[in-house]
Amino acid sequence: MDDLEKAILLASDSPAAAGASPAIREEALAFCARARDESPPSSLLRLCLSGLASSPHAHVHFWCLQSLHDALLRRRIALPDDLALLRSSLLSLASSSNAASPPFLRNKLAQLLSLLVRLDYPHVYPSYFLDLLPPSPPHSGPTDMFARVLISIDDDLLSQDYPRTADETADAGRVKDAMRAQCVPQIARHWHDAAGSLRALDPPTAAMALDAARRCISWIDVALVANDVFVPLLFDIALSPGTAAPLAAAAAGCLSAVAAKRMDARAKVALLRSLLSAQQGLGSPDSGLKMATLVTTYAAEALECYRKLGPGDADGAAALEMLEQVLPAVFSAAESAYDDDVDSGSVLDFLAGYVSTMKAPSEKQLGHLGRILEVVRQQMLYDPVYRGHLDVLDKIGKDEEDLMAEQRKDLVALFRNICKVAPAATQQFIKGLLVTALSSAEATVEDVEVTLTLFYRLGEIVGEEEIRTGTGLLGELVPMLLSARFPCHTHRLVALVYLETVTRYIKFMQENVQYVPHLLAAFLDERGIHHQNSIVSRRAGYLFMKAVKLLKAKLVPYLDTILQTLEDVLGQFTAMDWANKEAKFSSSEDGSQIFEAVGLLIGIEELSPEKQVQCLTALLNPLCHQIESLVVGAKTQGLEESSPRAMSLQQIVVALNMLTKGFNERLVMVSRPTIGVMFKKTLDVVLQILVSFPNVKPLRSKVISFLHRMIEILGISVLPCIPVALRQLLVDNEAKDMVEFLVLINQIICKFNSSASGILEDVFPTIASHLSVILSQDAFSTGPAGNTEEMRELQELQRTLYTFLHGMVTHDLSMILLAPTCTQYLETIMQLLLYTSCSHKDILLRKACVQIFIRLIKDWCTTSKADDKLPGFRVFMIEKFATGCCLYSVLDKSFNLRDANTLVLFGEIVMAQKIMYERFGEDFVVNFVAKGLPEAHCPPDLAEQYYQKLQGNDTKAFRSFYQSLIEKIRQQQNGSLVFR
Amino acid sequence: MALPNQGTVDYPSFKLVIVGDGGTGKTTFVKRHLTGEFEKKYEPTIGVEVHPLDFTTNCGKIRFYCWDTAGQEKFGGLRDGYYIHGQCAIIMFDVTSRLTYKNVPTWHRDLCRVCENIPIVLCGNKVDVKNRQVKAKQVTFHRKKNLQYYEISAKSNYNFEKPFLYLARKLAGDANIHFVEAVALKPPEVTFDLAMQQQHEAELAAAAAQPLPDDDDDLIE
Repeated sequence: MDDLEKAILLASDSPAAAGASPAIREEALAFCARARDESPPSSLLRLCLSGLASSPHAHVHFWCLQSLHDALLRRRIALPDDLALLRSSLLSLASSSNAASPPFLRNKLAQLLSLLVRLDYPHVYPSYFLDLLPPSPPHSGPTDMFARVLISIDDDLLSQDYPRTADETADAGRVKDAMRAQCVPQIARHWHDAAGSLRALDPPTAAMALDAARRCISWIDVALVANDVFVPLLFDIALSPGTAAPLAAAAAGCLSAVAAKRMDARAKVALLRSLLSAQQGLGSPDSGLKMATLVTTYAAEALECYRKLGPGDADGAAALEMLEQVLPAVFSAAESAYDDDVDSGSVLDFLAGYVSTMKAPSEKQLGHLGRILEVVRQQMLYDPVYRGHLDVLDKIGKDEEDLMAEQRKDLVALFRNICKVAPAATQQFIKGLLVTALSSAEATVEDVEVTLTLFYRLGEIVGEEEIRTGTGLLGELVPMLLSARFPCHTHRLVALVYLETVTRYIKFMQENVQYVPHLLAAFLDERGIHHQNSIVSRRAGYLFMKAVKLLKAKLVPYLDTILQTLEDVLGQFTAMDWANKEAKFSSSEDGSQIFEAVGLLIGIEELSPEKQVQCLTALLNPLCHQIESLVVGAKTQGLEESSPRAMSLQQIVVALNMLTKGFNERLVMVSRPTIGVMFKKTLDVVLQILVSFPNVKPLRSKVISFLHRMIEILGISVLPCIPVALRQLLVDNEAKDMVEFLVLINQIICKFNSSASGILEDVFPTIASHLSVILSQDAFSTGPAGNTEEMRELQELQRTLYTFLHGMVTHDLSMILLAPTCTQYLETIMQLLLYTSCSHKDILLRKACVQIFIRLIKDWCTTSKADDKLPGFRVFMIEKFATGCCLYSVLDKSFNLRDANTLVLFGEIVMAQKIMYERFGEDFVVNFVAKGLPEAHCPPDLAEQYYQKLQGNDTKAFRSFYQSLIEKIRQQQNGSLVFR
Repeated sequence: MALPNQGTVDYPSFKLVIVGDGGTGKTTFVKRHLTGEFEKKYEPTIGVEVHPLDFTTNCGKIRFYCWDTAGQEKFGGLRDGYYIHGQCAIIMFDVTSRLTYKNVPTWHRDLCRVCENIPIVLCGNKVDVKNRQVKAKQVTFHRKKNLQYYEISAKSNYNFEKPFLYLARKLAGDANIHFVEAVALKPPEVTFDLAMQQQHEAELAAAAAQPLPDDDDDLIE
């Protein structure tokens, strides 16, 4: 034992270990492990018992108890004699255990005893509890030990808080049953006696006994505790000023366990009533502070009874009454929720549940709701510690913001519910907050932030109509908000939530135009676009744009003011240093929205033409000059993609683009043609960029966006500029650029139809030469190869190309294909279209190709062969397309007639047959009916029927017949049709 | 208090026990504070390692002797023997592994058996990882047991100081204590992904709409 003792001390954190080297400690550890694992069980048992009896060191005792526990758990100690020795030794150790020995040793002993109980109570040894139960009057040592054993049984076997195996669950049932039958009433009496007699003499031990009681209440007869002797004692202990905090908490814990006991709702109402009559002051704020968990549990249980029984039931109504009686206590518990001992989550759950039961709150309930609103507000407050971080939004600030957003979710939900049942009271509450925040010079960032946040949330719940008319207090609150300037307005959080809230109530201005100047000031001065924090000012720009969209004409009288106020900001956006510095804000909120806002304002028709021209000149001219001088400068010095000059050009084009969003074709070309001319000139200037620097791709993208806008608003007058632009765009054109290019071409096709034929004839050969290369690649293969970035790009390009071909033929431009410069590509294109229409994996592309063919037949063929625009096309259609696409591709099993897209494709294929019959007549019939169908093993009678339906006028009937025909042929072939 | 191979210091020092399942990042966490490389490979801790971690507060220096215990042994070693005389503790779980959270009550129980009434922090580690299994919303254990909960990322240093600050305040009985010098930490190795956070938030919003699980159903007697 001496060696082992030394080893244990060296391995642990005892004083002896302090000077030992790691090697010695490792050796000591190994020695202990050998003693534990390699001794025969009986020797280990005796070794440990002797250690417990003789060693003066707590570490050694602990090691012995731990080793015995391991050995017992692993069933290494299994001989009846050994077990009996262990049991009797432990029981005598427990009854002689004095309260002065270290708690960790008493707990370890209790843990070992509880394992014995689990293994052999009651069948092997039935009197553990009777042996351990302290005699009356209870003394500290035995009472403490007994409580620890019960607690350990709860922890290691009974409690549902831990993962349990099936064996453990079975053992738990057995132990509980035996205890109920044998000793639970005596144990309950002991708890009562211990609490009563030790509360003054030895509060920690009394607390320990009550903690054990708390854990057992869920499974014992509750009347053993919930009676008129025990309950008053518990309340007395919990509430007496002289009681030590842990003991008071233990007593309140027992009462909570009583209140939470599972039982029928009516019985629960009676139980709750008895608790209230035992302690009249249960609902006082003081109770809330002292017994937060109890009052919360109590209120939640009463609520549950009320819900189950309903307001019409006498017990149900009584439950609600009891609930409301304890509400003051719940509120004081909630408000002290920063205290560690209060679980704010369960308080909040209860409050949410309570609010959800209300429909038309009484006067008294309205008072309660006011308190709940205050609880919500308190819990939504940011911690001032993070103020600086939240302002600059560093990492800590971001984390805190995320955390708060998370924490606020439930609170916002509760706020919303209160707002729904008591809108007037909620508005009154907000008003109080706002008045306080505005009248106090010391209003903190956190107070103002939460006030505005709640006001904002209110705006989410009240209806649009109410905002517009300013129903209730809104007519007072919104003007207050608009003219509000807080001392802490420079703080990012305050400024942002302020702007969001203003935006939320913007519809108010529609009916109350007198407040428009206030609104504008809020967006434009140092609270908004001129805020010192660029995040705020950019957000303000975006929100201002939304405001302009909504209020439009109402803002016309203020146009000059707005433009003057924005002059500096507009200038900064395109300034070289600014563009470079702020380039990191590449998100959608890049500050360009102020140009959109200004454009929207100038584009309003209520503005006189002169005014419009004047404003637009003031905006466009400087920007155009800037472009010209930048381009000149760049020509001599070259233009690097990320140079300040390139960035600045980019910003200018973006600004112009945003500016044009306020204008449409009707205004620019019809009612105010002068403006059209101005934009046309601007376009010429912008195109200089493209002419001079076609390879700077980010810049090129911006120019393309601008071109899109110009095509949209300038209409046909833009056509003369297009060819030169397109030519420049084809310089250094890679796959990605091709997509951008084709999207532009497609817009031109859709917008101008045949008017674009000249342009198209020019660029078609270039596109076509790309097309044949790109479309013949397999971009739609399945498997991992199909999922790379390159593949997705190629797929997108292929789709865009098909869209291009489809757009061309469906917008009266099919003749382009036959133009002398283009015919050399015709063969390839036809083969690609045929292949795609028959077997492409993308059904939508297949459909597009079939539609292209239908259109080409209509455009190029009449019933007379002599009129054919393209010799050989008729034969190609009849021999290749009709059989390949209309018959064999459909017969293939992969053609899924249950898929919606495929059915649409099928409809097109049927249409194609009708058209071919209409235009090609007998030539089609001979080839398809007399030759194609029989070759595909179609029975002659069905082929005959097909011919009849084909001639008929009912396309629907023909379609459904053709579907059944296909299904029949498929069936007949049993899927083994061999394709040519 | 005596400690193996550690010189004593003339300012307050406390024994801090770190427990939790194996692989939850206990060793990584304590090593963020120290010299030496952050272990990319996972090497299970054998027995216990003690790291002295110093912090400077407005009331002077404070040292935590962090007892970084092994998470995986069932038998062998001293296990809860190392907890003896622990003055504060951190229970660690891994938010990407549900099982490690499920075992938190067991760690807490075994800890409290040896160290009664000590301040304990529950830490959900690895919040930088994209596929979280234990959402912030699902962490409720600390509410039942009056523990402080922090989400941390040992890799990104996120909230590294929070557990120590909480424990320092509790041990000193002074809620106003704060750290005055930035602790020398290793540079973060990962940063948060804003999009991920947003998605995470959206999920939480959806979860918040769900009724709370009633996990006490089987307690009816």
